[in-house]
Amino acid sequence: MAVIDEIKSNLMAEFSPTLLEVEDQSEAHRGHSGFQEGGESHFHVIIRAAAFAEMSRIQRHRAVNAAIGKDIITRIHALSLDIDS
Amino acid sequence: MTDTAAQIQETISATDVVLFMKGTKDAPQCGFSQRVAGVFNFMGLEYQDINVLADENIRQGIKDFSDWPTIPQLYVKGEFVGGCDIVTEMVLSGELDALFAKEGIAFDKDAADKIREANA
Repeated sequence: MAVIDEIKSNLMAEFSPTLLEVEDQSEAHRGHSGFQEGGESHFHVIIRAAAFAEMSRIQRHRAVNAAIGKDIITRIHALSLDIDS
Repeated sequence: MTDTAAQIQETISATDVVLFMKGTKDAPQCGFSQRVAGVFNFMGLEYQDINVLADENIRQGIKDFSDWPTIPQLYVKGEFVGGCDIVTEMVLSGELDALFAKEGIAFDKDAADKIREANA
């Protein structure tokens, strides 16, 4: 499975989000550190889910990182998160 | 506590504002570190920059210390505040101004307002 689909399905399963957008922005980082041929290095996630309402910013990021999974987090170079309820 | 964790604890206790980053505040080597350092420089903030690329122990150690997978990482008065996304959000919402004011940390409020105007 492509990394982007793994991220999507993990987040979908954990949070049942009302909005989920995952973008592979790797191509924009061609030539920068961390870029790898074939992409799958830089990702941007926009997620909205009720579960985040009671969480602090740090808790939100920790929850999303945990749902995406350590395996994927260590494999990719960069992940930026836009999280809200 | 490992030696590295003890070293990190000492660093964040010794200075009010510490940014663990890739590169230095004058020569950042990653877009995310560059964004945070650029904002802090513009805000005239006094902070210590720790270049994780200069020390492999710190590079991994800081991630273990805060249980946070990415760099940069901001610490204020010994407390972990967040990474690039969180710091950016807090600058734009004014929360970071409030935190600095509460902790008695000086910064250029006009510059912070300018950043918000430019990103409104």
